[in-house]
Amino acid sequence: MSYPDPPESRIGRPGRLPELLVPGLLGALILLFFAVPFAAFLARTGAVGVLETLATPEARAAIRNSLLTAPVSTAIATVLGVPLAYVLARRSFPGKRLVEALVILPLIVPPVVGGAMLLTAVGRFTPIGAAAAAAGMPLTDSLLGVILAQTFVAAPFVIITARAGFGAIDERLEQASRSLGYGPLATFWNVSVPLARGAIVAGIVLTFARAIGEFGATMMVAYNPRTMPTRIWVEFIAGGIDAVVPLALALLGITLAVLAAVQRFGRVPTVIDR
Amino acid sequence: MILELEGLRHRYGEELAIEDVSFGLEEGELLGLLGPSGCGKTTIVQAIAGHVRPTAGRVFLRGRDVTGEPPETRRVGIVFQRSTLYPHMTVGENVAYGLVSRDVDPDRRGALVEEYLELVDLHGRREAYPSELSGGQRRRVELARALAPRPDVLVLDEPLSALDRRLRRQLRGEIARIQRETGVTTLVVTHDQEEAMALADRLVVMNAGRVVGVDRPRTLYESPPTPFVASFLGRSNAVPATVVGRHPLSVTLGGREVAFDDGPDVPAGTTVSCHVRPEDVSIHPPHVAVPGTDPVLSGEVRHVEDVGRRYDVTVAVETGDELLVETSSDPPAVGDRVAVALSGDRVTVFDDGSSAAETS
Repeated sequence: MSYPDPPESRIGRPGRLPELLVPGLLGALILLFFAVPFAAFLARTGAVGVLETLATPEARAAIRNSLLTAPVSTAIATVLGVPLAYVLARRSFPGKRLVEALVILPLIVPPVVGGAMLLTAVGRFTPIGAAAAAAGMPLTDSLLGVILAQTFVAAPFVIITARAGFGAIDERLEQASRSLGYGPLATFWNVSVPLARGAIVAGIVLTFARAIGEFGATMMVAYNPRTMPTRIWVEFIAGGIDAVVPLALALLGITLAVLAAVQRFGRVPTVIDR
Repeated sequence: MILELEGLRHRYGEELAIEDVSFGLEEGELLGLLGPSGCGKTTIVQAIAGHVRPTAGRVFLRGRDVTGEPPETRRVGIVFQRSTLYPHMTVGENVAYGLVSRDVDPDRRGALVEEYLELVDLHGRREAYPSELSGGQRRRVELARALAPRPDVLVLDEPLSALDRRLRRQLRGEIARIQRETGVTTLVVTHDQEEAMALADRLVVMNAGRVVGVDRPRTLYESPPTPFVASFLGRSNAVPATVVGRHPLSVTLGGREVAFDDGPDVPAGTTVSCHVRPEDVSIHPPHVAVPGTDPVLSGEVRHVEDVGRRYDVTVAVETGDELLVETSSDPPAVGDRVAVALSGDRVTVFDDGSSAAETS
């Protein structure tokens, strides 16, 4: 007795295109586009003395300034942005559309324009800026100015990702917590935050990466003191591509290290009762 | 009364969800809240738990008006249709969660967690995470979590709907046992009439946002107050009849005059509808006089369904209606001419189209 080939045998038949061939090829193109400049840039590393450059006082000051400002900006964005994300995920209210538009405004405005906007609000000759400067805390050309610029540009990332995270939680889990005796704040802390932790952590990492790499708005608000990105610009003007490599590598290294650390920290289970 | 709802009404925007809902639960009672999807059951659960502030009406817990109070100050235990166990906490932590908020001291807390996990037969799984449990086990942990803080009332909102049939039956028994052992006042909300009848001491039947019947399940089943209750609690047939006399009400149906002890008070000539359950209808050979005074209708068999322990026979009768008849043996064949007899004492008469009805 002979049977015709079962249909399964067709899967392996030569000549049939793998199902993911087309999307795979298209994806490979964009990956190549990411990888080639990256590799080419790294290939320059050998040509310059990375460590010597980083040891110069200018580079060290830039690194210090970036390491001071970016975590503060990220913390501000997180502390103020995550609660906003929660409200946006849980409530509808009149004017919500407007609020949502406001949240993505810093994303769609070019950073350099965002910086200009900040200047018009807190610049040296505005009431706020003048008052702050008089109090000894100038909001432009200061680390405070850097933090303002970074926060303005980077905060939407944590708000948008955290909002998606909160939105994915079944509201009944929070209702159950309320019925088990917890108020809205305790419920937010015990249930909502741990359950949205993955999204919040992802948002924090994105925000930090964006903040530490911020250039356009920072340049407008606080060209001095130099951060790593503004220093990179100065080096580029003076010495071309090769001059940029050491600080760029350091920036990349810091961002990757923070990513790894936050992800590891973020995975530690939150234990309510032990 | 442990829990009392008084004239509850709620609208979402323009849409009326519930209207004039009032009922109460006595201490230790298991009350079933039954109605089709979208009848307002969920709104009632949310109002009892405190997540919805009703547009009008009041909620009392142990005689205290809690209508304006937030959920955390009410002692209401809740189990929802879908699991709300916290995936980032172990089984033990989940059960302890409601004890921590009430400042039960840690030693006592540990003992209570053990006790309630034992109650639901899961004492070995304290360290497990919810994702390691089966669907039925998760349900039981939720029961333990809701019960551990000793709530005034336990609300089970469609607790079995997400489970498969076999598990549903098994857990239904578990719920009945746990309720018996703890004596907790319980409200079971369901759209499944079998579940409601099997579990509840008393039933509140709802339709379109209103309460349409409150009584013991058997009473509601045998003498439904409205045509809706008749058709929603089990299956029901309706045939029209004409009133020929009042006090006592008598109608002509199937060529016979049938008298009722109770029924709508309507003048002769009014068309009423007579409801009878499939098990109270019998099939007879045609052209043979059926003894007794039961109304008899002649008809033709349209459909026969063998459902195992009985046959469901659909007969198109002379009034133009189709009657569903349950018979345990010897079903007729499709196309047979038959006579069907309605057990006169099991017929409920409703004023046609309205809900004024017999109450017995």
